[in-house]
Amino acid sequence: MSKDERDDIVQYSMSRRKFLGLSAAGAAGASLTGLGFDKLQAYAAKHGDVAKTTIPDGEVHTLCEMCVWRCGVIAKVRDGKITKLEGNPDHPHSRGKLCPRGQAGLGMTYDPDRVKTPLIRVGKRGEGKFRKVTWEEALDYTAARMNELKEKYGAESMIFSTTHNLIQQQFENLLRAYGSPNYGTQRGLCFNAMITANSLTWGLDEPGRDYTDTDYVIYTGRNLMEAISNSETQDLVEALAKGAKVVVLDPRFTKTAARATEWVPIKPGNDLAFYLAMLHEIIKNDWYDHEFVEEYTHGFDQLAEEVRQYTPEWAEQRCDVPAENIRRIAREFSVAAPRAFAHPNWRTSNFENSFQTERAIAALNAICGCWSQPGSLQPAAGEGEGVELGGIPQPPYPRVRALRLDGVPWQHPVVPLKLGIFQKNRDAILTGKPYQAHGWFIYRQNPLSSISDRRKTLEAFSKLDFIVTIDIIMNDTAYYSDVILPEATYLERYDPLMVMEDSVFIRQPVIKPLFDSKPGLWIFQEIGKRLGLEKYFQYDGEEDYITQQLKPLDVTLEELKNKGYFTVVKEHTGEHSEELHFGTKTGKVELSSTVLEQLGMKGVPHWQEPMTPSENQFYLLTGKVATHTQFATQNNEYLHDLFPENPLWINTKEAEKRGIKNGDDIYVESEIGKVKTKAYVTEGIRPDSVFMVAGFGHVSKGLRTAFNEGVSDSDLHISYTDPVSGSQALSQTFVKVYKA
Amino acid sequence: MATKRFAFVIETERCIDCKACMVSCSVENNVPVGHHRNWVHQIGIKGTFPDVGMSFEPGQCMHCENPPCERVCPVGATYRRDDGLVMVDQDVCIGCKYCIEACPYDARYFNEETGVTDKCTACVHRVYQGEEPACVATCIGGARHFGDINDPNSEVAKLLATNDYYRVYEAAGTEPGVYYIYKGGRKA
Repeated sequence: MSKDERDDIVQYSMSRRKFLGLSAAGAAGASLTGLGFDKLQAYAAKHGDVAKTTIPDGEVHTLCEMCVWRCGVIAKVRDGKITKLEGNPDHPHSRGKLCPRGQAGLGMTYDPDRVKTPLIRVGKRGEGKFRKVTWEEALDYTAARMNELKEKYGAESMIFSTTHNLIQQQFENLLRAYGSPNYGTQRGLCFNAMITANSLTWGLDEPGRDYTDTDYVIYTGRNLMEAISNSETQDLVEALAKGAKVVVLDPRFTKTAARATEWVPIKPGNDLAFYLAMLHEIIKNDWYDHEFVEEYTHGFDQLAEEVRQYTPEWAEQRCDVPAENIRRIAREFSVAAPRAFAHPNWRTSNFENSFQTERAIAALNAICGCWSQPGSLQPAAGEGEGVELGGIPQPPYPRVRALRLDGVPWQHPVVPLKLGIFQKNRDAILTGKPYQAHGWFIYRQNPLSSISDRRKTLEAFSKLDFIVTIDIIMNDTAYYSDVILPEATYLERYDPLMVMEDSVFIRQPVIKPLFDSKPGLWIFQEIGKRLGLEKYFQYDGEEDYITQQLKPLDVTLEELKNKGYFTVVKEHTGEHSEELHFGTKTGKVELSSTVLEQLGMKGVPHWQEPMTPSENQFYLLTGKVATHTQFATQNNEYLHDLFPENPLWINTKEAEKRGIKNGDDIYVESEIGKVKTKAYVTEGIRPDSVFMVAGFGHVSKGLRTAFNEGVSDSDLHISYTDPVSGSQALSQTFVKVYKA
Repeated sequence: MATKRFAFVIETERCIDCKACMVSCSVENNVPVGHHRNWVHQIGIKGTFPDVGMSFEPGQCMHCENPPCERVCPVGATYRRDDGLVMVDQDVCIGCKYCIEACPYDARYFNEETGVTDKCTACVHRVYQGEEPACVATCIGGARHFGDINDPNSEVAKLLATNDYYRVYEAAGTEPGVYYIYKGGRKA
């Protein structure tokens, strides 16, 4: 960071963290001068508003936010500093353990690259030049711009987006009180196909899984050992240790595939064919659960009729899995059922047909009776259900007449409102249809990195009059924003309570916010006040907000803070009720969806031909590693050290054909972009596919560790969206690979 | 009564190579970024597509019964405790790095900030407070175990009594205190 003539000007440049006398681990194996953790803390203590006396040594029970799984954390404090995070043994998501990201949580709180004061842009967008301002000025300015846009173009001209989190309620409160229908969440980028398909089939978003008693699990692109969901990953390891059979469909030999009983290197986009043939085999051979089908399902005859054509030989031609293997897995699964499940996954193969794939997976579970039995899928209540909380007074919101920019529901009637289609907001800014958006309020989110086709997103940014981003570090989106409001990290603030089953869990500050950062609850209220919307934000600080939430419960804030959670004693009705209920229109598991039928679509899962690469092109696959969360953690010293960049996986034979050796510089080129990266030559991927970890190639010069490390998949990914579920189809981007 | 022999027992088939153990260790022990006291070795990807295999072998200082690092230390900074743990007395160490060379497991590093050699202490400061070492406590797959193998009632002793295991470079005569449990041979 170099300073301008004026003291209050920040000009971000790409210089590394030399001001600390340190250098980050270089990608090419440069000397590894260490960044001692105590140095970071000392730095933060010197420059930040560290509460030097008010935080007693000891342990604080709170919730992790290094991903969205929300594990219970016990934070150890000494001399006003957090020294270590441990998994809370009493929390069902952590069970005493944290993953590498959770363990690295201090790297976020003590990141020297934190945005330390509110900033207002003074240079051009992307120039990295900002003016340090007070909260007063930043909030006044933000509210003035938002009010101006509202008066000039209507409230609908502001888009509000966030990654779903505990403070969702207040985020939505601001959005609705302001009066915009334009709400964006990451979900359209993640799992719209899964949620939409499951809600149409079972009448709930995402079925639970019982690993304790399961004998057989099939995953489709779900990589639990690298895309860690702490408790579920633990469950999978235990299930394997107990001898459950685990089949992994994935074009790449992931760590989950390596640990599984069987790896099926399926062709991208064609997992649908595999499942249609499974349905064919099981119905043809009468291996299905007649009792469950007759009593609880709707549309079995149509399904049977539809899948008659999908023989294992037919599927083999498409998914590249030998027919005999499909037959064997169908047999094994139906024998293991109901102590078996085909996992609902996140994105399966990430094609436009993924919605059909998810429907076929749901149908497979249903016809085998893998529902509400030991070891099967479960009708689990979602997070946030289970305990009734109190809430702040909620006056009625203004009526919104404008259409949503993402086309939900007017163009996409099946997509749940709460999911929306995030990427279409960006496209609507560019087309100006159905009307022109002028502002974007971005909270805990990084759309510039997360939405496919970064150039398009930048172009959309350039069409906007006002962008405000609330974040902790200068992520790429913040870097291109007009106002940046620095939020306190999850270790420095409260958030609204987390409800899980019979318990409420609290996220609470372990230390006071460092620098001039503020908690989200405070920021929302202050913006609300300045927009003239104070009646929607009736709480007197964070603790009062939680206290209002706790009102119906027999626990005080102090008690909750001490233990970290509170369990409501409920009268259980004993056994699971014999009767199963499904929240669909027919009240049954809809193998043929009445919603789809009503819309004139085929109600049963059916074949939908995926796009295929042309000669000399590869499927571009993307995914996760255990050490990073999306685009958010690359600047974390601990995690960057373990995984600094994202080379491209390419099959040995294909690499040889192109004269590419392991570690060589290569170009990866799609229709919309080209990146230069390194080759990781391996036998662990199909010859027709290449793979890179997502989330790298940051453009913000305010990220002095992550800047320009690795490459961004968003520079390559073309935006494809399944019109039914609104899911983006990332794996439909095909690339050429050649030596640099 | 037999003396204490603290050791690590690792169920390699439970390791998912997430590296939570590495971060946990670095934070707990204030290890400078860029160095590590522990590791997860990836073995593979071996074979030819699609018949491939991959396994993982976590490790750290082996706390040998016959530690080569101790023999080469010119000032006696490296020593073996009665409970089996090998330690570096950082007040005595002169930073000559002989021990770093002598360790066949590459388990030691030179800490530029302190000017002395550093390595795994089995989080002895936690262990005697009744806590597990930081790497063991957070192991997502439950692969890492720690305890007194001379106590037949300990988890580690029971694991060794009922499973096949190997130790790394046993032929070197180091008598390492890290035992790797495997089922059906070392995979991949």
